[in-house]
Amino acid sequence: MTGAILFHELTARQRVAALVDAGSFSELLPPPERITSPYLAQLGIPVSFDDGLVIGHARIGGKKIYLAAQVGQFVGGAVGEIHGAKLTGLFKAAARDKLPCVLIIESGGVRLHEGSSGEIAIAETMRAIFECRALKVPTIAVIATDIGAFGGIGILSTCCDFRIMTEHGRLGISGPIVIEKWMGKKAYDSANRALVWKTSGGKTKYLLGDADALVHDTADAVRDGISKFLGKSSAVSLVSVKARQKELQKRLKKFGAASDPDTVWKSMGVRDIQAASLASGPEFAALAKRGK
Amino acid sequence: MEKFTKAFPSKPLPSKTAKPWALAGVVGSGNLEVMLERGGKPSDAMECHVETSIPGYKASWLAALSDFAHHYPAGGTKVTINDQGAPPVLVNLRLRQAYDHLTKGDK
Repeated sequence: MTGAILFHELTARQRVAALVDAGSFSELLPPPERITSPYLAQLGIPVSFDDGLVIGHARIGGKKIYLAAQVGQFVGGAVGEIHGAKLTGLFKAAARDKLPCVLIIESGGVRLHEGSSGEIAIAETMRAIFECRALKVPTIAVIATDIGAFGGIGILSTCCDFRIMTEHGRLGISGPIVIEKWMGKKAYDSANRALVWKTSGGKTKYLLGDADALVHDTADAVRDGISKFLGKSSAVSLVSVKARQKELQKRLKKFGAASDPDTVWKSMGVRDIQAASLASGPEFAALAKRGK
Repeated sequence: MEKFTKAFPSKPLPSKTAKPWALAGVVGSGNLEVMLERGGKPSDAMECHVETSIPGYKASWLAALSDFAHHYPAGGTKVTINDQGAPPVLVNLRLRQAYDHLTKGDK
């Protein structure tokens, strides 16, 4: 049974099956329709029947939802024109039908082979997410693997109402190697796993408030996390954006000069760094008092 | 990229299957995805469509596919493959996984 396997080890299709009520998933644009990327084919790169995204509707605990899962192994889960159009359409359908929309993220951002189309698709999806939020339709992102949510998808994930992360999940804009290339190895060593995870990993993102829940790396825990947010959503307004901007300014002031991620952990109430490093999910959350 | 299509003689698929189509594997480095669909034209042949990023291995492909068609009753199925450099043993494994999903369901 998939319940015993760690969530980050499942494929996108297995994740969908493990999260939803048995037999409730109905796929939109399934593989037999062969809606594949025209760009990759032109470049002589193999295409995938679902263009790296599984979308459809299902039930979680009896509640109807729209659901998407990215296939991280296919060009890094990156967003091309078809992949992006599927994402946009799904969130638009969620807004139309007033049903929560859950996105299981595993993506490095825009697919460089189809850059402009991918960028536009991500922007259109963000607009569709804001349409959902304006209608109080919950939008939830799950980030549970080391491919994580980076680039445009990192930004997109923060447009959703809620982000659920595991300790394996990573969230950011530029990935570790990109930062190292630009800033130098002294500034940021992408081979230093502890540093990488303490800056972009689920635990730190939870402490900073970028992730709304930190859960265990199992389908059951992720499903429980999703269930808790299914009824909640809030519109994006000028007031809420300004308030968020203030929070971020405060954060920059507090941590802008910090050279060690442990400083962030300590100031967020983590007394025993060693114990917190070994703890996961809710146990970690219990060891820290989360600040803004 | 190399593309080819070929049908292999195979005993007919059981008249009832759990699903109309099944998918196994993903298009990742050294991996492939295999889709099996009911409704291939002649009921005594397995119709195969292969697209692979590594050219020059057609003989190995034909051997792997014909071996599968020989050992499994897959007549009347359409097999479509997107490949990113999977070794023959993995091709065989994915074909069997897809066949199991098609005939017995996902469990």
